[in-house]
Amino acid sequence: MLAGMERITPHAVALSGLRKSYGDRTAVAGIDLLITPGEVVALLGPNGAGKSTTVDMLLGLTPPDSGAITLFGEDPHRAVAGGVVGAMLQEVTLLEDATVREILTMIASMHRAPMPVAQALRLAGIGDLAERRAARLSGGQTQRVRLAMALVPDPGLLVLDEPTAAMDVTARREFWHAMGEFAATGRTVLFTTHYLEEAEAHADRVVLMRDGTIVADGPVSAVMARVGGRTVTALVPGARPAELLALPGVVDAEPAGDGHRVVLRCSDSDGALRALLARHPGAGDVEIRSASLEEAFVLLTGAGLAGEGVAAR
Amino acid sequence: MKGGYLRFEVRRAVRDSRFLVFAVALPVGLFVLLSHLYQSQGATPAYLMGGLAAFGAFKAALDTGARTAVERGAGWQRQLRLTPLSGAGYLVAKGAVAMLVALPPVVGVALVAALTADVRLTAAPWALTVLGIWLGTVPFALLGLLVGQLCSARNVQTYQGGVLILLSFVGGLLIPVDAFPPVLAGVARVLPSYWLAEIGHGAVSGSGGSGAAPAVLAAYTVVLGVAVIVRYRRDGARA
Repeated sequence: MLAGMERITPHAVALSGLRKSYGDRTAVAGIDLLITPGEVVALLGPNGAGKSTTVDMLLGLTPPDSGAITLFGEDPHRAVAGGVVGAMLQEVTLLEDATVREILTMIASMHRAPMPVAQALRLAGIGDLAERRAARLSGGQTQRVRLAMALVPDPGLLVLDEPTAAMDVTARREFWHAMGEFAATGRTVLFTTHYLEEAEAHADRVVLMRDGTIVADGPVSAVMARVGGRTVTALVPGARPAELLALPGVVDAEPAGDGHRVVLRCSDSDGALRALLARHPGAGDVEIRSASLEEAFVLLTGAGLAGEGVAAR
Repeated sequence: MKGGYLRFEVRRAVRDSRFLVFAVALPVGLFVLLSHLYQSQGATPAYLMGGLAAFGAFKAALDTGARTAVERGAGWQRQLRLTPLSGAGYLVAKGAVAMLVALPPVVGVALVAALTADVRLTAAPWALTVLGIWLGTVPFALLGLLVGQLCSARNVQTYQGGVLILLSFVGGLLIPVDAFPPVLAGVARVLPSYWLAEIGHGAVSGSGGSGAAPAVLAAYTVVLGVAVIVRYRRDGARA
């Protein structure tokens, strides 16, 4: 029938006009977000940007003051009860006296169409830990058990709130490998992280939040392009910043950290470089590099990274 | 599908053998110590049995409920909110486990009373003592859950200890209320623990009890049940 053919696949996540305040502090100040099934999206922002509040509302743990939330067309409570969404929350410790298998079996028993526990264990890379008591797991192992707990409902949408916080490098790599295997099956993943290289490496799309609003949203490369596609650094004797800014393809010019060179953010680095060398024959010591997500992050959120516990490399 | 969660909790409770042994050993040990004292004062050990069976049962139920404070502090309840398990399902499972661990102390005290203190009753008073006290423990399981929802994992033991002393001493479970000054005896008759022990006392005295005990305990069950549900719902949102 026509009605069936016209039916549109609902978005994995649809947020509209979402707001939440705690007293006079606004945590989320009206955000709209659509996520298509199959996307892997990183939600970034400094502490207090509203990421965790957004995640809590999305999962039905915190009611929004106003706005609408649907996950695959269903309200959050129904989506959670139906096993449509699985989540890894921050600050959840496991019951120390239970084994990994007991916890996963218990969660699986409550869902209608769960993933077999053995499969969740394998996907999370903890097949050898099934009989271990939670009290005897390392930090990285605990996180992967929590990933397995989120996978057991066999959800279409996986939500991870800072999943790799406090993990060492090896544990993080293993974690993302496990997450990648799951995402490769066409599932939707939304994660928050403090590690920008994780967003760059694992997300199709990044959403930057600041002060409860979304300040940038798009593919990683597009968000990076917002700060200028490439950056040219050069020694240009006697040139004034205004002259350099007037060069074709240059969107921003400022002195470099060493005080001698200048940094040119460029929308067209090739054109800018040709013009630079033509008009300033004395220019030298030229370096061209891609803008990093970190630069986009700083520029768009106005937040320094050092104090945020962000590993910026 | 809720059965899976109950099974999980029962398994955890049964495995906690230290807790179970202590839950039985404390009232049984107290009975052995106090029954001689009672007899030397010309009181009947059967009366003490009612008090200590009530003590053992409600302490086990209260402790089990209150231990949910630890799970709440660890974020475990938030994790469970991401499953199809409803708030009611969680509370019912926890209450059921509290009731499960409340039974062995009652049976233990009854056994030691029969074997060591020569307490002799017919079948009906035995059944009334054991089953009546056990069933009367429901409001204490709810009280434990309420304490668990209200207290942080750090201060729960302090509150729980205070509640325990109030209910056991002032409720007349260790010392007969008849020996209390009138004001304290009045306070005792407000406490659910007094009425829980009354079930045992009534069974032993052959009067069968007045019917007031079940009524008071039922009223406590309703009030505490509502309080636990309201509190659990409010706790859903992270402040």
